[in-house]
Amino acid sequence: MRSLRLPVVQLAVNIAVLASIYALIACGYVLVYRVSRVLNLAHGELMMLGAYMLVVTASQFSSHWPVAIAAAMGLSLLTGALVYLFLMRKMTGEMVLAAVLTTVALGTLLRGVMVLVWSAQQQYPAQALDVANTSIALPGGARISFFAALLILTTALVYGALLAFLRFGRWGIRMRAAGQRPLLAAQRGIDLHAMYALAWGLSTMTGALAGILIALDSGLDQTMAIVGLKAFPAALVGGLDSLAGALLGSLIVAAAEVLLIHYVDPLLSEVVPFLVLIAMLVVRPWGLFGTREELDRV
Amino acid sequence: MSEPLLSVDKLEVVYQRAITAVQGITLSAQRGQVVGILGTNGAGKTTLLRAISGFHGTDDARVTEGAIRFNGRRIENSEPHRVARAGIALVPERDKVFPNLTVAENLRVPVARGLAAAERRRHQARVLQFFPKLEELHDRTAGLLSGGERQMLAIASALASKPELLLVDELSLGLAPVVVEDLMSRLAQIRRELAVTILLVEQSAAVALEIADYGYVLENGRIVLDGDKARLASHPDIQEFYLGQSSGRRRSYRDVKQYRRSRRWYG
Amino acid sequence: MSRRLRASGHFRTGYAQDLRLVETRGERWSLAVFLIALLALPFFASPFLLDLACQVFLASIGALALMLLTGHAGQISLGHAGLLAAGAFTAGILFKEVNAPFWVTLPAAAGVGALLGVVFGLPSLRLRGLYLAVSTLALHFLVVYLGGEYETRRGFSTGVVIDAPTLGGWTISGGRTWYFILGAFAASTLLLCLNLLRSGTGRAWAAIGANETVAEALGIGVAAHKLLAFVISSALTALAGALFAYYRGFVSVEAFSLFLTIQYVAMIIIGGIGSLLGAVLGAVFVTLFPYGIEAVIGTLAGAQRYAGLLFAVNYAAFGVVMILFLVLEPLGLVGIWRRVQTYFLLWPFRHRPMAGSRR
Repeated sequence: MRSLRLPVVQLAVNIAVLASIYALIACGYVLVYRVSRVLNLAHGELMMLGAYMLVVTASQFSSHWPVAIAAAMGLSLLTGALVYLFLMRKMTGEMVLAAVLTTVALGTLLRGVMVLVWSAQQQYPAQALDVANTSIALPGGARISFFAALLILTTALVYGALLAFLRFGRWGIRMRAAGQRPLLAAQRGIDLHAMYALAWGLSTMTGALAGILIALDSGLDQTMAIVGLKAFPAALVGGLDSLAGALLGSLIVAAAEVLLIHYVDPLLSEVVPFLVLIAMLVVRPWGLFGTREELDRV
Repeated sequence: MSEPLLSVDKLEVVYQRAITAVQGITLSAQRGQVVGILGTNGAGKTTLLRAISGFHGTDDARVTEGAIRFNGRRIENSEPHRVARAGIALVPERDKVFPNLTVAENLRVPVARGLAAAERRRHQARVLQFFPKLEELHDRTAGLLSGGERQMLAIASALASKPELLLVDELSLGLAPVVVEDLMSRLAQIRRELAVTILLVEQSAAVALEIADYGYVLENGRIVLDGDKARLASHPDIQEFYLGQSSGRRRSYRDVKQYRRSRRWYG
Repeated sequence: MSRRLRASGHFRTGYAQDLRLVETRGERWSLAVFLIALLALPFFASPFLLDLACQVFLASIGALALMLLTGHAGQISLGHAGLLAAGAFTAGILFKEVNAPFWVTLPAAAGVGALLGVVFGLPSLRLRGLYLAVSTLALHFLVVYLGGEYETRRGFSTGVVIDAPTLGGWTISGGRTWYFILGAFAASTLLLCLNLLRSGTGRAWAAIGANETVAEALGIGVAAHKLLAFVISSALTALAGALFAYYRGFVSVEAFSLFLTIQYVAMIIIGGIGSLLGAVLGAVFVTLFPYGIEAVIGTLAGAQRYAGLLFAVNYAAFGVVMILFLVLEPLGLVGIWRRVQTYFLLWPFRHRPMAGSRR
C-alpha cells in the first residue's frame, strides 16, 4: 500500500513543479476575473486546446521546438481573444451567472470537439518534436525532468512579466481600471471590448503554455482538463483578483496535495485542492490577498 | 455667429424602452463658454450628460429622437470611449475615480487622443498646476481621499485627455461650501487658460450662476427657461424657486397656480 | 372555478381563486387529458419507451430540485452529481452493510443530502452569488472520492449491486411498476415545489433573488432562507440519487461525473430558468437528447465513423445547444412556449401595450 518513501528533497521538487503548474494556470483565472468579472470555467479545456495546438504546430516545425511552442502560444492568444469577441461579448449585459454558465457550455463543447478532431488517445508532442525530456540530477538525490524545470522557470518569468505589466505599464494600469470601474474607464477613452479581448487572450495563452509544457513533460490526454479545474481553488485561495495571491495559493494547494498523497492516500489527488478551498471559504472567503469588496461584486 | 461646439436638438432619451427621461431638449454651447444646467432631482440633468457622453450597455437607455452634434458630427448613441476620444470628458457624479489605484495611476489612465508622449507629459504638468495638492498626494490610494480631493482628482483626470468639452455633473454635491468655492474658481481658471468649454450640471443654482455665462433650467425632462446669467439671476421664478430669495410678500394660491401655468406654456 | 375556456378575460376576485393551481375550464380539461395519456402510456408503450419515461421522471426530480435552488433563490450549484452520488451510495452502503429496506434507505438518503446541504451551504452563506458554486464543486469531488474509497476498500471495484426493493412479499421490478412509482415521485416533487413556491418561504426566496439587501431590510432572514433552499434542494437530489440506484440496481462512482452536473444545469437553462415547467421540459429535452443524436448519426451518411465517439458528439452538440439557449433565448423552452401562447392569446393583436409609455 505505501509506496517507497521519497527523500524530502524530492518531495520539495515535486511541490515546486506542481505549484508552478497550478500557478501558471491560475493566473489565467485571475486575469479574466479581475478584468471582466467572469469565472471562466472553460479555462481547463482552453488550456488543453492550447496543448493540442502544439500537436498541430509540432507537425509544421518538427525540428524547432521553441518555434513550435511560440506558434502554439500565438494561436492560443488568438483563440482567447476570439472566444471573447464572438461569444462572451454577447453576455456582457447579462447576469454574471449566465456568463459563467456560458463558459461551462463552452468547455463542454470544446471537450467534444477535441476528441472528435484529435481522438481520445494520448499524444506525445515531445516525440513529434524530437526533443528529449532528460532527467536532471539535483543535489540531495532528487531528480527533475527538463520540461518540468522549464515549467518552473516559465512560471517565474510569466508572473514577473505580468506583475510588472499590471503595476507599471500604462495599459496594465488601464486593465486594472477597467476591472474596477468599467463605465468610468470607458468614459476615460478605454475601449472595454478591446481590453476584455486582451485579457481573455492573455489568459488563454498562459493557460496554453501550462498545457504545452505538461504535454511535453508527460503527454497529453483527456485528464488535463481536470488539472485545469484543480488550479481553480489555488486561484480562489489566493484571492480571485490577485496575481500574487494566486502564486501563494498554488504553493499552499500543491504542498497540501503532494504531502497528503505521499503520506496518506494517493486517491486524494483530486479532492485536496477542494478541501483547501473549503477551509479557506470558512476562514477567509475573499482569499489571502483578494480585495474584500470583491465579494459583493460576485 | 460661428457654429456651436456642442448642439443638442429636440433630444429624447428613453430608459428600458418605457420610461422617457428627457424630451424635446434643445440647447447649445459655444466654444469657450460655461453653460449651466439647473434643475432639481430627477429633472433629467444627469441623463442629459450621460446621453452626450454615451450610454453603457447596462443602462438600457437610448436616444430615441433628436440629435447631438459635436464639432458638427453627430454623436448620439455612440459608445462612451469613442465620445471620450472625440474630445468630450465627463466628470461623473458618483464613481468618479478608480478607488484601488493611486492618484498617480488614476492620472495615467485617461487616453490622451493624438498626443505624443512629450506633449502628454507637458499637458499633465499643466493640469497639475491647477491642483498642486494632488502632487503631494501622488502615491495615496484614491479611495482614501477626502471628498474635495477626490473631486479634484476627478477633474484633473478628465482634463488629462485634453478635451475640448468638459461635462461636470453635480460638482458641489456632498462638499463643504468653502471647498466648492475653491473648486469653482479653479474651474473658471481652467476655462480661461486651457480654453475648455464647460457644461456644468448643478442642483445649486447659486453655485452654477457664479461662473456660468449662459444657463438652461430643466424640469421633468424638459427645458422650461434659458438665458444668460443676468437674465436668469434676475428672473423672479428662478429667484424664488432656485435661489431661495423670496420677494417677501406672501404668495397666494393663485400666484403659485400662475407659476405652474407658465411652466406648462414653456413645456 | 372560472367557466371560461381560456385565460383571456378571466379575473381573480378573491384569495382562494388566487391560490388555485388550475383555474379555467380550459386548463382543467387539458390537465385531465394529459393525466389520462400519462396513465395510459405504460399499457401501450414498448419497454424502451418505458425506460425512457422512467429516466425522464428521475431526471425531473433532480431538475426540479436544482430549479428550486437556482431559479428562485438565485444560487447555482455545481455539485448536483455529487449529491446524486451521495444519495445513491447511501442507499447502496446501507443495503450492503446492514441490509436496510428501502423505507429506511430512502429517508436516510434524503437525510444525508440535507446534511451535506448544511455543511457545504454554511460557508457560502455570508457570501453572495458564485461562492456556492465553488463550494459545491468541492462537494462533488469529496463525495466522488469517498464513494471511490468505499468501492476500493470493500472490493466492489465494478460497483455496488443493489437488490430490487421489496414491500411485504412483493418485489418491485418491471418497467410498468417503476413507471408508476417514479411517476408518483415526480408528481409529488412537482406538487411539493409548486406549494413551496406559493408559500411564505417561496415568496421570501423570490425577494432574496430580486434584491438581498432589501429583503434583509424587510426582516427576511436571508442566510436562513438561502440555507433552507439549499438543504431542501440537496435532500430532494439525494433522494433522486437513491431512486436512481434502485431503478438501475447498481451504483458506481463512474456514473457521477461533472458532465452529469452539466446535464442538470443544461436542463434548467434549456427549460428556462425560474420556471418549474421549464425544469420538467428541460429534463425531457436533455434525457432524450443523446438518443436523438444517436439517431441522427445513424441516418447521416458518412457519419458512421463517429459512432464510436458518440460521447464526444454528445458533448459537442450539448455545448452548442446550451450556448444557443444562453445567448439567444435565456428564458428557454418556456420562453418559446410562452411566446407561442401569447401569440394565440392576443391574436389579432401583436403586442401587449407597453406600461408607462406616453404614446
